[in-house]
Amino acid sequence: MNQSGIPIDLIMGKLAEDAEKSQERILKSKEVLLGPLETEIATTPCDIVYEEDRIKLKHYHPLAENRVKTPLVMVYALINRETMLDLQPGRSVVQNILKEGIDLYMIDWGYPTAKDRFLSIDDHVNGYLDNVVDFIRRRHGVPKINLMGICMGGSFCIMYSALHPEKVKNLICTVTPSNFDTDKSLLNIWVKAIDPDRETGTHGNMPGDVLNLGFLLLNPPRLMLDKYVGYFEGVHDKVFVENFIRMEKWIFDSPDVPGETFRQFIRDCFKKNLLIQSKMELDGKRIDLKKITMPVLNIYGRFDHLVPPAAAELLTGRVGSKDTEDLCLETGHIGIYVSAKCQKELAPKIADWLKERDGVERSAAAVADVPKPAAGPKSRPSSAKKAKVKTTAR
Amino acid sequence: MDQDDKGKSGPEALFAEWMKSAADFWLSAAKTGPLGGFKVPEPMPASAAGYSTRMQEGFQALLKIWQNSTAALSSPQTLESLLKGMTASPDAALRIIRTTWDGYSQLYQMWLKQTGKAYNFEGLQPDAFGEWSGFYEKEIQPFLKMPQVGLTRLYQERANDAVDKFAQYQTAIAEFLNMLNTPVEKSLRVMEEKLVEMSKEGKLPENFKDYYNMWIKVLEGHYMTLYKTPEYVECLGRTMNAVQDYKAAREKVLIDLLQVLPIPTNRDMDDLYKEFYVLKKKVKEMAKKIENSEALK
Repeated sequence: MNQSGIPIDLIMGKLAEDAEKSQERILKSKEVLLGPLETEIATTPCDIVYEEDRIKLKHYHPLAENRVKTPLVMVYALINRETMLDLQPGRSVVQNILKEGIDLYMIDWGYPTAKDRFLSIDDHVNGYLDNVVDFIRRRHGVPKINLMGICMGGSFCIMYSALHPEKVKNLICTVTPSNFDTDKSLLNIWVKAIDPDRETGTHGNMPGDVLNLGFLLLNPPRLMLDKYVGYFEGVHDKVFVENFIRMEKWIFDSPDVPGETFRQFIRDCFKKNLLIQSKMELDGKRIDLKKITMPVLNIYGRFDHLVPPAAAELLTGRVGSKDTEDLCLETGHIGIYVSAKCQKELAPKIADWLKERDGVERSAAAVADVPKPAAGPKSRPSSAKKAKVKTTAR
Repeated sequence: MDQDDKGKSGPEALFAEWMKSAADFWLSAAKTGPLGGFKVPEPMPASAAGYSTRMQEGFQALLKIWQNSTAALSSPQTLESLLKGMTASPDAALRIIRTTWDGYSQLYQMWLKQTGKAYNFEGLQPDAFGEWSGFYEKEIQPFLKMPQVGLTRLYQERANDAVDKFAQYQTAIAEFLNMLNTPVEKSLRVMEEKLVEMSKEGKLPENFKDYYNMWIKVLEGHYMTLYKTPEYVECLGRTMNAVQDYKAAREKVLIDLLQVLPIPTNRDMDDLYKEFYVLKKKVKEMAKKIENSEALK
């Protein structure tokens, strides 16, 4: 009899059963892995309509009748690639937005090389992004465009909207960090130990591999062990393998971040938290959040471990716009774009919100006439059109 | 035993005898050996005979130098100072070994203490790494930081700096990996205690997967606790600084080596990239100004 009480005989019996199942799985997986696999990502048809240095502007072919006149430009982060928004048919934010009848453009930041190491945030925001916006405005003959940012891309969109409010009709920020003074995210804690000048001086551009390693270290048991245990358990299933490989392709496709951009982002945003305080400057031009006067939709995830709610929710209270809305989804940083539930919520919400604001612009006098409800001692300044934070059940 | 006897039977006497017998051997070998007894056979051209005489003279000169140096070494004062130096080396080596051993035994004791406490990362910083760093900075680093002299002094200083930074990088990485390994050890201890409890209650799972899931959860919890400690953040900062310092020092050495070859270095390319960047920016600004002024017309 086993003195410790551990049912070793039962465990061994189960192990033997599992071994037999594993053997069947291995035989099936051999067929799956050695056979044809559909693992292409970012397959939605598009045209490259503008190029500048390493930047490309993608214009997607429409999938439905146009419902929103003003074109939408999506600005992804410099970390990882925008292909995550178009992972596969059935899990593609791009396709969902196209089906809602929105004319969609996406910036592809490309792969920075050594010669890009001196490019600053100003070059990206007031250079590349401004040129892209001007191009689209000329192409469509419109004075303003709709802007949607993802994560660090959202931070760029905030900066751009504050510096060029005359060119932005509506601003959508998704999982966008605007407030970096929080210890709810490990990144915010760890970055305090980093010396950005030393990093940039040593590496030039911030290597994508180092960033990848950093993200993996955020949760080694789950991201380096459990994930692959799950993979080997499902390796006999072709669909599972294809989805897994697509995600792997995206997650380890990490371009380097231009050195000067990285330096300034760490120093001014993470360390000094200048953006939310309206003290950040790009090439001497101050980013005043009060100059963001267009409607703002701010979407973030409650369980986002990289951009927790505390890092995103302050934005709407600091902008000058009277028409702002916060939407907190019950999901994480990437789940907001790839989870099955959010696939059904995100695009329709964005489309409806843009459609409501796609009409002729009201004059400033008309906006001033809208009565403003009194602000409480702890609440942010609110207006009649400001919506409360909505949460969606998981 | 009186002084004379000690002198005759001690290591100095042994060394002197050895030197004397070695000198005698080579002297007799020179006289009787192939070169010592070499005679130019007839008929031999005059140049060959001259060459062999020069060789003999050279060999005899070498032998004289050897004899003189062994005579000098045989003197009691020289022998005494030489042997003092030889006995000093074991003392230094013994000190190094003792410090290293103390460090290892401390590390082991620390490990035993640490793995005992679950979800507790207090006193995490193993002093052994601190002790090794202290020893390294005191005993080894000063040699690497010594100012160099001569034509190649700058290159030598950069090479020494690279070695110094490599040593610090190795220490930092070892410390960081040790810290990352601590949650694994703690989680295994926690699992041990959990299994004992569960077996007492008779609630042990039969499925291996359940054990794995339990362990992963415990492990994840330990990592999340560790990541928020100031010790971890400091260690992370130290490790990143050490990596960057080592990379920078190594690149300086590589650039020195590459300068011998007719290829541009990173430093050359960075200068070019900076010029490109400034030029491109100016051109874009001017193009925009021209576009705006044409639009106004």
